[in-house]
Amino acid sequence: MTFGSRALPSLDRGGRALTAFPAGGVLRLAFALAAVAVVWEASVVLFGIKPHSLPRLSSIFQAMLATPRAYIDGFLRTLTETLIGFATGGAFGILIGIAFFRLRTLREMIFPVFVVSQTIPVIAFGALVVLWFGNTLVAKAVIAFYLTFFPVTVNTLLGLESVDPRQAALLRSFGASSRQLLLRLQLPTALPQIFVALRLASSLSLVGAIVGEWFGDTTGLGVLLLQAMYNENFVAIWAALLVSALLGTGFYAVVAVVERRLVFWGAEQ
Amino acid sequence: MSVLAGRPSSLAMQRGVVGGVLLVLLWEGVARSLALPSYVLPAVSDIFVSIWSTRALLVEAAAYTLCEAVSGYLLGCAIGIGLAVAITMLPVTRGFMLPAATAVNSVPVVAYSPLILLWFGIGIASKIVMVAMAVSFTVFLSTLAGLDRVDRRSVDLMRSFGAGRFSILWRLRLPTALPLMLAGMRVSTVRGILVAIVTEMLGAYDGLGWVIYQAVLKIDFIQVWSAIFVASAASLLFFGLLGVVERRTLFWK
Amino acid sequence: MLDRRRLVTAIALVATIAGAMVATAPARSQELTKASLRLKWLAQAQFAGFYVAAAKGYYKAEGIDLTINPGGPNLLAENLVATGSDTFGLSGGTDSVFAARDKGLPIVCIGVAHQLTPFVFVTRKDGPVKTIEDFKGKTVTTWFTGANYVLSGMLAKAGITADQLKIQPQQVSVTPFVEGSVDVVTATYYNELYAIQSRMPKDSLRTFVAEDYGITFPRDTLIVSEATAKEKPDLVKGFLRASIKGWKDAFADPKGAIDTVMAVAPTLDRAQQEFQLTEVKRLMVAGKAGENGLFWIDRDAVKSAHDFFLEYKVIAKPVDLKAAYDPSFLESIAVADRRL
Repeated sequence: MTFGSRALPSLDRGGRALTAFPAGGVLRLAFALAAVAVVWEASVVLFGIKPHSLPRLSSIFQAMLATPRAYIDGFLRTLTETLIGFATGGAFGILIGIAFFRLRTLREMIFPVFVVSQTIPVIAFGALVVLWFGNTLVAKAVIAFYLTFFPVTVNTLLGLESVDPRQAALLRSFGASSRQLLLRLQLPTALPQIFVALRLASSLSLVGAIVGEWFGDTTGLGVLLLQAMYNENFVAIWAALLVSALLGTGFYAVVAVVERRLVFWGAEQ
Repeated sequence: MSVLAGRPSSLAMQRGVVGGVLLVLLWEGVARSLALPSYVLPAVSDIFVSIWSTRALLVEAAAYTLCEAVSGYLLGCAIGIGLAVAITMLPVTRGFMLPAATAVNSVPVVAYSPLILLWFGIGIASKIVMVAMAVSFTVFLSTLAGLDRVDRRSVDLMRSFGAGRFSILWRLRLPTALPLMLAGMRVSTVRGILVAIVTEMLGAYDGLGWVIYQAVLKIDFIQVWSAIFVASAASLLFFGLLGVVERRTLFWK
Repeated sequence: MLDRRRLVTAIALVATIAGAMVATAPARSQELTKASLRLKWLAQAQFAGFYVAAAKGYYKAEGIDLTINPGGPNLLAENLVATGSDTFGLSGGTDSVFAARDKGLPIVCIGVAHQLTPFVFVTRKDGPVKTIEDFKGKTVTTWFTGANYVLSGMLAKAGITADQLKIQPQQVSVTPFVEGSVDVVTATYYNELYAIQSRMPKDSLRTFVAEDYGITFPRDTLIVSEATAKEKPDLVKGFLRASIKGWKDAFADPKGAIDTVMAVAPTLDRAQQEFQLTEVKRLMVAGKAGENGLFWIDRDAVKSAHDFFLEYKVIAKPVDLKAAYDPSFLESIAVADRRL
């Protein structure tokens, strides 16, 4: 099995992101992207594909360069909303996960409510969230938070429960307090599983941010998408999609890199 | 024992019900005591009354949305499983397909809805496409992970008995992949309905998302919440249905 | 074992980044009053005057730090103003104001932008729909944000009920009408009509204009909450003064106005926006607004629209027009300043 040869964060047999971006990988990534760009441009021109179906990559870049501020501001705004939602959702999810692990009664009472909460279409909430929180960063972050906390909770619980009870017993026999047990054994053991959720959460919080922006925001990638749709401007839609892809992949990659640094004893267990 | 694995004990179920009831009571108490206007937070009792009185409309909308979700779901599963199988049978394609699929999916699925709505109009087609997109990637990844778990030695053993590639696929790989594949399919049921509703809210002829959209514009927030509750119930129904199917197929677990 | 310090560092890093981003959000000014205006749709030339006023600092000159929030498909300005999420709203029209007051939302209309009904119902001249009675059994698309009330009112006047035809939500694109799958489409003068006429010759179309049926539905109503109207009258007056100034500038320099709008929404089609501004000007200076200035509330038009809706059961009970429409803020501004 080759581990380090993929340029993009690829998945090993356990489904975890393996590689960050080793130097050779970056070159290969650049080459792959260039190849895709050439194929895109060439096929549209050669096959005479209408912009309605697929615009030329060059016209998409032209559109972006014509009004760069809109895309840059949009990118930064959406990134901020995503980060805040991700951070709060992740933090809450981990804390609640620990609470659920410790207090069985709490878990059995509240967890089903959490499960049901995830079946509620948060987009339907969007109209209500904007009413409650106004057109602020907070409103979008709340939506992102809502989508993020549940997978993190579930995976924190899973991870904490995978702790070997013998190791726990051993530490206790040395007089470790509950807190020390948590910090030195349980959380570290749970970390790989928590990161599985955090990687998922990175994309979910972006979804929350974009959908939140559809409820009357002034700047953002979601706003650009909506404007482009109502103007039937296909080139603009694709431009917004590409920038969103950049944000999504970038954020995911950052989380994967952090995971690699913190969970260094290897992806396989 | 994790509350996630296996069936919860009856005590756990009781506690779950208590938790739900407490939440409902808290909601009702806050809404009534603070006399919140319905466009901020309506009382739960009002919502239930409204659900009952508009049940015909809500059931029809739910059926419409479920139709879109289930069709898209089946299509998405077919695509996801199909692609995973194709990659397993033709290992050369893995290096290309996996990054390509990841790239397409690095954009949140909902971001594609403007494009899909312009391409396919506001009828059912656009919703089915969106649900299929959302479902296929998750199912693809889990099926691929499941297929990859197959032990090389078992494959070699079957080959030594003269089994062809399709035979190996059918008798060994797919059964081994089933648990992970089904895990992915389970998660995708709820996602499917959510994506259908999100797309409907941008443009539709009918469905729960459409009901929510209209209710907001008619300033009928009790109706918004009614539709939200019904959507939640529909997701749980779909999820439960798949659980039943899963138990039938994985009877050896 | 876990390197705990690394974990703490990572968390601290994320928290710092998030904190820095929130902190570097524009600092709040101390002297200006913060307020927001919620538009009824996404940014376009229809709202040029407000954007021009903001760009030229007219709101700041009145002591208002105004944020202009665009509307969208799932938002209703009446709701947002009623809950206090937004200070001002440019909402659907007299019809949506009636509907909101009917539902008990505490909003007040302080000015009306479009003096004429800004949309028409369009069909093919050589098609089966020649009169409004022919709407029966056909596929009619409209928006459910106010135009649907006008449609049902006009149909009711002709003796047709909603279940005698297929009323469907209107798509983003006019393609279904152009391709023939929709019989009647709702088109604003400044948006859809432009799009349709760029694909079909003008004389192949037949339009149904509300004014021909003896009724006008003024639209694009400026609203505030009752609380704001009572407690902050100076804020409201300042807002109106600055907005009117912005609109006058926009009409005087349409190219500059479009530049301002395009800066906010760069993916718009410039040619269409210029057309839109011309049409919007026509709507805003029609009727009594020529004499009495922009945003004039034509009491007669409001009353007859109200009675129309009441008669055809679009609203359940009469609306207190005096409470719903308050021209005092507008009238406090000199007529000469309001007129173009």
